[in-house]
Amino acid sequence: MNLLEIGADGLDTGKPAFFRFRPLGDRVLLTNLEGRFVVLDDADFGRFARGEVEAGTPLFEQLSRENFLRESFDEAKAAAMIRARRRFLDAGPNLHVLVVTLRCNTTCVYCHASRANMDEVETDMTPEIAERAIDLILQTTSDYVTIEFQGGEPLVNFEVVKHAIEYALSKNASAGKQLEFTMVSNFALLDEEKLDYLLEHRVQLCTSIDGPADLHDSVRKLPRADGSAHGHAVRWTRRINERYRELGLEETLYHVEALVTVTRELLHRERELVDTYTELGCRALFLRPLDPFGFADKTQHLIEYPREDYLAFYRRTVDYIIERNKQGVEILERYAAIFLTKILNGEDPNFLDVRQPAGAGIGQLAYSYDGQIFTCDEGRMLDAMGDSSFRLGDVHMSSYRDLVGHETVRAVVLAGQLDGHPDCVHCAYNPYCGIPPVHSHKSQGSIWGRKRESSLCHVHKGILDYLFEKLATADQETLEVLQRWTTSRSRDHFLHRVTVGAV
Amino acid sequence: MTQRFAGVPDVLAHADLDDSSAELTVDSTLYSLESVYGASFTFIDRCFVFLDRPAEGQLRVTLAAKKSATQDELRGFVGEFANELLACAWREKITAENRGAIEAVTMQALAGAMGPPSLDELEDFDFSEEPFEDPLGIAMSWEEKYGKDKAKRKQGEGPEAAAPEPAEEEA
Repeated sequence: MNLLEIGADGLDTGKPAFFRFRPLGDRVLLTNLEGRFVVLDDADFGRFARGEVEAGTPLFEQLSRENFLRESFDEAKAAAMIRARRRFLDAGPNLHVLVVTLRCNTTCVYCHASRANMDEVETDMTPEIAERAIDLILQTTSDYVTIEFQGGEPLVNFEVVKHAIEYALSKNASAGKQLEFTMVSNFALLDEEKLDYLLEHRVQLCTSIDGPADLHDSVRKLPRADGSAHGHAVRWTRRINERYRELGLEETLYHVEALVTVTRELLHRERELVDTYTELGCRALFLRPLDPFGFADKTQHLIEYPREDYLAFYRRTVDYIIERNKQGVEILERYAAIFLTKILNGEDPNFLDVRQPAGAGIGQLAYSYDGQIFTCDEGRMLDAMGDSSFRLGDVHMSSYRDLVGHETVRAVVLAGQLDGHPDCVHCAYNPYCGIPPVHSHKSQGSIWGRKRESSLCHVHKGILDYLFEKLATADQETLEVLQRWTTSRSRDHFLHRVTVGAV
Repeated sequence: MTQRFAGVPDVLAHADLDDSSAELTVDSTLYSLESVYGASFTFIDRCFVFLDRPAEGQLRVTLAAKKSATQDELRGFVGEFANELLACAWREKITAENRGAIEAVTMQALAGAMGPPSLDELEDFDFSEEPFEDPLGIAMSWEEKYGKDKAKRKQGEGPEAAAPEPAEEEA
């Protein structure tokens, strides 16, 4: 059904409440201001648009229940859901990325972080800079704080990682935050002694698995003498999961989280990818397309792909993941889980890159090895490429309020709201979407960008089309799988809880 | 050597391959100056951008590529400029219409992130500071700037005594 077929004279603007719509195969998806949705067939959409839905009919009940009719519009219900979706606005940055070194033992063809060679020791963070960063981090208005150790390869500067953990724990005795540490590592430099320390200090460990061994090793290269990058990642993932079990931690909740960066070669190997992850005991797969940062900007002729190809890959992969779930294997796709939580649960899982406004500056801060502070890790990556647009200050001179009240933060908060964007303002996916302004800045030259031409917008629309098609047409078993992906359980073991004053 | 672009009306845009530049003519009754500035700015990493007003109701944008550019690349610049210009113009209207909601979210986000100022920060705050500096008297009303009681102000009477002299008198 096309609104043009109904014609302007046929539309009844008095009966429908505010809605946005999008064709979905032979049906029509409608979403409203607070993000509730209905999927109607052509005939019902016509009745709705012409204001011909009769009270007492199942269609009337459905539209009324989901707040699509003016006469039964429940303002309080709408306001409560909008508040729930924007709850993250009440507190400041909870994710703090500490880039403890740019040095890395691996060379990745897409390296977003702009790594440095192993002899470039001047790119190591000093203990003093780590302390100043943590002093700032613990001033956030957020009760929950995650300090994420990144690089380069953070294990290269492990002494500063340890120093930062111990300093943060001691300072948090008075700050009283719910503190969590995570580390993103390729594990090639891990040993039992380091692992003992990380487990003892409850550091959550994440790695990258970019597919089966041959593919992983072709995009993430270790010096030949150091063996296979895939081999190290797999061996230590298994070992860490084993140690979690020895600690009595529940396997389904506590395991190494792995991330995949989708490169061109992976696009036709979806089953091998999923099987690699399930065999490792991973419960989540995040099908992240390439970003335009770091080396990926220069190597795109080798590894990039049209986003249509990515979306076809995405559909095949998630179809296979759902199939595996039906066979009893519990694994989810992270993009789908983020969107489904917003769609089905009416809340925001606070994934900083897919929310509006995005997390830059108000949900996340990144601290570079030299003490410079950025709105987000991508802002720091851009700085490494010679563009310091997202730099907010440094650990020596800036106060916490200087950083989060910075004019750059204000600008990206404004630009990160889709109600100020052409296309987005009318898009049915507006309540669930979000595009980081740093991505628009890099790919289109302004923090606003042109979403209709944005590769990220294309990806989000494609994924949401797929998910709504499933929600509209899938069998009950599939719907149960998708609903299960929205269930989030807290990993309390990793939380360092402190009651202020009780050391 | 001036050349036209396939699919683009010649009166609106053409290229000079010798100079690696493209010229666009923008109807200033369709697009605001702010939109033209906004679209132009997204090109400054790739082009030197010149704006002028060749005739009433027209703005001319010259995009001179910093590195030598082919006709296809110049056509890409022109097309991208046109799309960016449309995006800027429409965004200007949308943000005006949704200003209330956008400002409310922004205020909540920043207030939530910043929290209340500490006592040390309050101690450092200069409460005597004027809301903003206005050395040229741009924010003053006509009456304040040129009104009847200017003579009084010169003698130091009334609250406007500290206002700067009008620029014409400084010259």
